[in-house]
Amino acid sequence: MLEVNVPIGNIFLDEGFDNLKDGNFERLKISRIELDKKILRRKTDRGTDIGLNLNSGIKLRNGDVLVNGKNPIVIEQLSEKVIRVRLKTSNNKKVMILLGHIIGNRHRPISIQGEEIIFPIQADSEKEVFEKLFHSIINYIELTVEERVFSPHSGADVHEH
Amino acid sequence: MTHIPRIGIGGPVGSGKSMLIERLVPMLAQKGYSVSIISNDVISKEDADRMRNNLATKRGLLPENLVIGLATGGCPHTAVREDPSMNLSVIEEMEAKHPDLDLIIIESGGDNITTTFSPILADYFIYIIDVAGGDKYPRKGGLGIESCDLLIINKIDLAPLVGADLEIMKRDALKIRKEKPFEFVNCKMDKGIMKVTEHIIHDVLFDAQPKSIIAQKV
Repeated sequence: MLEVNVPIGNIFLDEGFDNLKDGNFERLKISRIELDKKILRRKTDRGTDIGLNLNSGIKLRNGDVLVNGKNPIVIEQLSEKVIRVRLKTSNNKKVMILLGHIIGNRHRPISIQGEEIIFPIQADSEKEVFEKLFHSIINYIELTVEERVFSPHSGADVHEH
Repeated sequence: MTHIPRIGIGGPVGSGKSMLIERLVPMLAQKGYSVSIISNDVISKEDADRMRNNLATKRGLLPENLVIGLATGGCPHTAVREDPSMNLSVIEEMEAKHPDLDLIIIESGGDNITTTFSPILADYFIYIIDVAGGDKYPRKGGLGIESCDLLIINKIDLAPLVGADLEIMKRDALKIRKEKPFEFVNCKMDKGIMKVTEHIIHDVLFDAQPKSIIAQKV
């Protein structure tokens, strides 16, 4: 087992990883929820046994480099189902407040991209659930389900249930 | 301060959380691992009292003061997920007073299919269900079943009595959890408990020897 206590850096955020730009590295594929773990033992996509035992204060991110050099190993966050909410009209404060209230009431983390809000779901059927919850503002928004890597806004990273 | 690995065990009322702990601790103790238990419940401390009596008082597998009951005063899952401060303060005290511990087990009292543990509190999450809930249980999903590190399906001896098909439960658990593990157990008879112990030693303790044995060698 290869034990890792702290990532070396991040291929998306840090310089010095030009050798990894071609994507030729081992991947430790884990979910968003697992990024929060301090202790995790898994195998990479090429079978390397990795034991993460992170030092205090370290939080994993998508793209973290665990090992560099001859056989680099990088964290790859798994994609997940999300709902993307597009606001049809800008600056409708009532719609925006209600939208935030309803999503927050379901304890979902959110990501904000321009005038779109993205939040995770567990099943496609939740689209219907949220369409009903949004009934009072449904004419002002558009919902789509997609699968993507979801990174919550740092101030809205709650543990959903 | 030394971080002592922590396992969270959650699941519905009556699924066998306390019984699982009562079966796991002797197997871990037999291998030399030193364990402490925190049991969360709404009002009662009955589960903690029972585990203390069975594991500490009667069998001496751990000191009585290392089985702690926490009355959360509200839904136990809030004390292990939204605001785990009550549990964390107990753990900090344990880590300061008992750095020789190998493992802390945190039980969240009777709860539902959306139970999860805050990763700040638990390093590894075991979710336990039982066959009496019906063989539909695994495929219904929910955060507990889908996101836990190890899913345990208990009381498999009751399957023929309640019309639960273990093959269906196995098929659905494999489908919904993809590559993440699950185990069938019968806590009453210790069936499958050794496999659960092996998961813990491999996934959480990284196959490390008990601290007491390492200390003897130094």
